[in-house]
Amino acid sequence: MPTLENPYLLKAGRVEKVIKECEGVYTFHVKTQEPAYPGQYNMLYAFGVGEAPITIASMGEGYIVHTVRAVGDVTRHIDQLREGDYLYWRGPYGNRWEIERAYNKTLLIISGGLGLAATRWVFEEALNKPIKRLVHLYGSKDYDSLLYRYLYENWSSKAEFYITLDRPDPRWKGKVGLITELLKELELDEDTIVFTCGPDPMVKACVRILQEKGIPQNNIYASLERHMKCSVGTCGHCMIGPYFVCKDGPIFRYDLIREYFERKEV
Amino acid sequence: MESKGKGGSYLLSLEGIRELFDRLREKYRVIAPKLKDGLIAFSEVDNFESLPFGYKNVEAPGFYTLERSGGYFTYTHPYNSFKNFLHPPELALIKVKKEKGKLSFQVHIQEETLCLFDIRACDLSALRVLDLVFLHKNPHPDPYYAGLRKGLFVVAVNCTYATFTCFCSTMGTGPEVKEGYDLLITELSEGFLVEVGSERGGEILEKIENKSDAERRHFKEKAQRLRETEAMMRVHFEREGLPERLYGKMDSTYWEHIEKRCVACTSCTQACPTCFCFDILERNNLELDESLRVRVWDSCFSPSFATVHRFNLRQSVHSRYRQWLMHKFAYWVDQFDCFGCVGCGRCITWCPVGIDIREEVRRIAYA
Repeated sequence: MPTLENPYLLKAGRVEKVIKECEGVYTFHVKTQEPAYPGQYNMLYAFGVGEAPITIASMGEGYIVHTVRAVGDVTRHIDQLREGDYLYWRGPYGNRWEIERAYNKTLLIISGGLGLAATRWVFEEALNKPIKRLVHLYGSKDYDSLLYRYLYENWSSKAEFYITLDRPDPRWKGKVGLITELLKELELDEDTIVFTCGPDPMVKACVRILQEKGIPQNNIYASLERHMKCSVGTCGHCMIGPYFVCKDGPIFRYDLIREYFERKEV
Repeated sequence: MESKGKGGSYLLSLEGIRELFDRLREKYRVIAPKLKDGLIAFSEVDNFESLPFGYKNVEAPGFYTLERSGGYFTYTHPYNSFKNFLHPPELALIKVKKEKGKLSFQVHIQEETLCLFDIRACDLSALRVLDLVFLHKNPHPDPYYAGLRKGLFVVAVNCTYATFTCFCSTMGTGPEVKEGYDLLITELSEGFLVEVGSERGGEILEKIENKSDAERRHFKEKAQRLRETEAMMRVHFEREGLPERLYGKMDSTYWEHIEKRCVACTSCTQACPTCFCFDILERNNLELDESLRVRVWDSCFSPSFATVHRFNLRQSVHSRYRQWLMHKFAYWVDQFDCFGCVGCGRCITWCPVGIDIREEVRRIAYA
């Protein structure tokens, strides 16, 4: 038997840039030549603490971008990294957004909260692809938790990029209300392709509205979040119905997972 | 059922079996059943006398005892499974060292020359199932499992007895051992029928002096004994179409009845030879400059198993039971093209409240 590649082996990359997005959320540019696709994730490692699956938010020349919110034991440690430190990880894992399905059609991206990190890269890709119409809806809890403020101007000049805040703020002149309100107002073709990532209730609510607009469920893709330990389909933690989110996902065509995703406690 | 072995078949006396065992001991670390704390347990065995000859295990839901019996391989399978040796309860993946702020990694992939001596049809099927999970149906084959699995020598034994909790015939995995062995033993009235299943099985048998060629009547007796064993087991449910039936019952209120009994102790998943789920823990030294990444068994019944952002997606015990049963009998078929249950019955015997998975499958899928 040939020597097998060890999927638990960690890689190292120097942190070249750290951007504070908002309180407790940092974006890291990490040096690497590792190829990856929009939609994939890495298992980021904190010494002595463990790993957390974090989506690859973007990729530049010789580096990857990770946006990390300090919510758990691992991410709290990762958010302490500064320029020049090393980040350790394994990956990339998982499938990718099927952007080709949106060629010559409307592509609608719906992101909620930190879900924007999971859709940012595919949105950036889509700006340069033969997409007929590109719409991105982004819902954030409040003004202070907005991510990637420095990219909005560029994005808005190239595509329909709309933001809504759940809570009003005197500093905010734009839309206020749930992302579902924004979605309801949108006129869409029935063959629109939808990519979405956000909290489970947001995804479910958006799918209902999309259905009312006549968009079939097999045109909708959702990136799911589950507990992952191994990322290679052997630890069982991320199972949803017959799928392993770590290797069959994290992106699923909605009609294939609906039954498990919408049912309680599966 | 009257089949001849692939590479020859012989009749051995007990002395011949002892010689075979001793020869295997020279080359392999032999894992075999052994009497331990009033149980028959798979253990590392140094001498032939340790085999639990003259005993049989009597099992029922939540019940286990040993009784004297009149033969040799008269028990069924050990209370634990081969899983403990190929997918150990605890296994070090990587040792991480921190020096001057930088990390270095040490990987130790253990390679063993193991021999499973006296493995039964159900467990041999479970071995094939774990091979699919860790190696053959995985885009990232597991090098740790592969290392322990590599070179494994398999001496299988046909069951001539079944306990009340055995249901391999329902799952189509036994009682007859049909493939995946180097040598296969069946205890007969005149001696032990040994069939060769591989070249290296044949090589080791060649060196045994006390043997004679097996004859037609030996295969007849083997078939008869296997028929008798099968007759000891009731057929509990129809395997064909079972996943579809279960998929249709995910909202059944019957799951909640199970919650009234299941205590989510995780015993079934630990005893199961195919349950593969694990957690990865970090074991740090006091100086905090060394950390061992350890893979330990986990269970879908544990309250933190499906936690996302500190919220457990499967809060209720019935949802965890549903996850377990659906995985074994439905999801597994989609994932690996086979059932995750081999009918060994360990989960029934070792359930402290005696939940009988056969009854639960029957009630959920066919009621």
